[in-house]
Amino acid sequence: MSVFAGPIQELVDELGRLPGIGPKSAQRIAFHILEVPKEEAVRLATAISGVKDRIRLCERCFNVGEAALCAVCSDSRRDSSIVCVVEDPRDIVAVERTREFHGTYHVLGGALNPIEGVGPDQLRVRDLLGRLEPEGVAEVIICTNPNLEGEATAMYLARLLGPLGTKVTRIASGLPVGGDLEYADELTLGRALVGRRQMAT
Amino acid sequence: MAPPVITSILSLELESFRNLDSVVLRPSSNGLTVIKGDNGVGKTSLLEAVVYCSTLRSFRGVAKEAVISNGKAQASLHCVLLHGSRTVDVSVDITLSRRDRVQRNGQRVDNGRDLLEVLQTTLFTPDDLELAKGSPSLRRGLLDDVIAAASPRLGAELASLDRILRQRNALLRQLGGRLRTDDMATLNIWDERLAETGEIISTARANLLEALVPLARRAFAALAPGAGTLELFYLPSYKGSLAAALKESRDDDLRRQLTTVGPQRDDVGISAGGLDARSRLSQGRQRCVALALRLASHEYLTAATGVQPVLLLDDAFSELDEKTARSLVNELPTGQALLTTAGSLPPGSEPDLVFSLVDGVIS
Repeated sequence: MSVFAGPIQELVDELGRLPGIGPKSAQRIAFHILEVPKEEAVRLATAISGVKDRIRLCERCFNVGEAALCAVCSDSRRDSSIVCVVEDPRDIVAVERTREFHGTYHVLGGALNPIEGVGPDQLRVRDLLGRLEPEGVAEVIICTNPNLEGEATAMYLARLLGPLGTKVTRIASGLPVGGDLEYADELTLGRALVGRRQMAT
Repeated sequence: MAPPVITSILSLELESFRNLDSVVLRPSSNGLTVIKGDNGVGKTSLLEAVVYCSTLRSFRGVAKEAVISNGKAQASLHCVLLHGSRTVDVSVDITLSRRDRVQRNGQRVDNGRDLLEVLQTTLFTPDDLELAKGSPSLRRGLLDDVIAAASPRLGAELASLDRILRQRNALLRQLGGRLRTDDMATLNIWDERLAETGEIISTARANLLEALVPLARRAFAALAPGAGTLELFYLPSYKGSLAAALKESRDDDLRRQLTTVGPQRDDVGISAGGLDARSRLSQGRQRCVALALRLASHEYLTAATGVQPVLLLDDAFSELDEKTARSLVNELPTGQALLTTAGSLPPGSEPDLVFSLVDGVIS
């Protein structure tokens, strides 16, 4: 049953499909859009269609960008012999923020997850294999999430890449820097203890 | 070893909780408090409220709405407890539409763990008879609950195991009985994860069971003196390493599209005086087995965590003869225990406090 006039209900329905937006929020946003000046609403609409028209996936690493190659892949200063494998383009943003990584990326587009119907064929694994030789990749850093599916994906890639002679590494897991030990959750702290390192003395 | 921290409930106020309109319970802070009352007066609801204050869930496995009195919008619980020497004030508002509003010492808490930290319970219900009688999943569940309560790390492994199995079974269903070379690598990964996590869980369960045996044996001997020695033994669903067992059962698993070996298929064997508990013990004796298992886990957790949970015994005398009921009262560990009963107390037992629950009033 729709309570609102057609176009409003349509907007509420569309907004309600977005992640993290429930029916109440959808309604609030719809009425907000109804009230703002027309230019503002059009700007939003243009931004939405712009992102679909102008943004595409990088041919090499499947990051998002505006050209055939993304900003990272087209940057000649980046070291193409080290590839950081992530699940999602948003993970690239996270790694980029560290300013510690100067190699290139490869976006898998998810992690192994049979429940969701995701196997190696649904991930960009073949594309990764195809990059190793032409780009002279010496090291693959597996930067998938530290959860069950991410770990399984990491293991899968390691088994796959290992025999090809590429060095495969996995990011470490541990405690947040600058935090207090007492606030660390027991699992993270437990893993940090297991992965402890000898100190230089 | 330092004596355990004793947790006890000083007072529990319930409002619009199940059929209890407004009730205050002030149990004895140490020792046994008995709550007597006819069927349907809300004795179990009192215990349910205690568990809700600890886990924010009903132990009856129903949606939280079910605990709110008919026609009311909200149920409220207010529990003052003593945790060691600290007084902790827990209040929970359960509403129909929103999340529970939970406060600890007046501070809002979002995480159920904040409550478990101050209030843990061991619960015995009449359904526990199924521990002796019912399907293996209940016996595994008992062990897993104790394991998770004693070690957060193993608790996380248990959650992983569950997820790994669901992933592996989903993959087996997708394969539809055939294994192409490409899929082999993926199945290998899940097998590897399952073997690793599964061994951890099987070992943890077998170790726990070994620790429970002397405790359960003593409790059972006190409850059922003529029934012979209680034996508990872990029955794995595979021999040797799980990795090898998975390899061996792979064809079978592919055909049945299900993981047929692993800790999810293990069981606990129980016998008393050489008789299998499930098939050959009387129902009364089966109850004694279930009680002994609960009391043993209670004692084990107290020692393992250094915190003594509150012991809750719902209708624990049902199907027990007078002598056994009396032994149960005498066998209770130190610390606080709440026991409900519809009948009378066994003669010769001396609880610290006895309340009657009549028409929603405790006296």
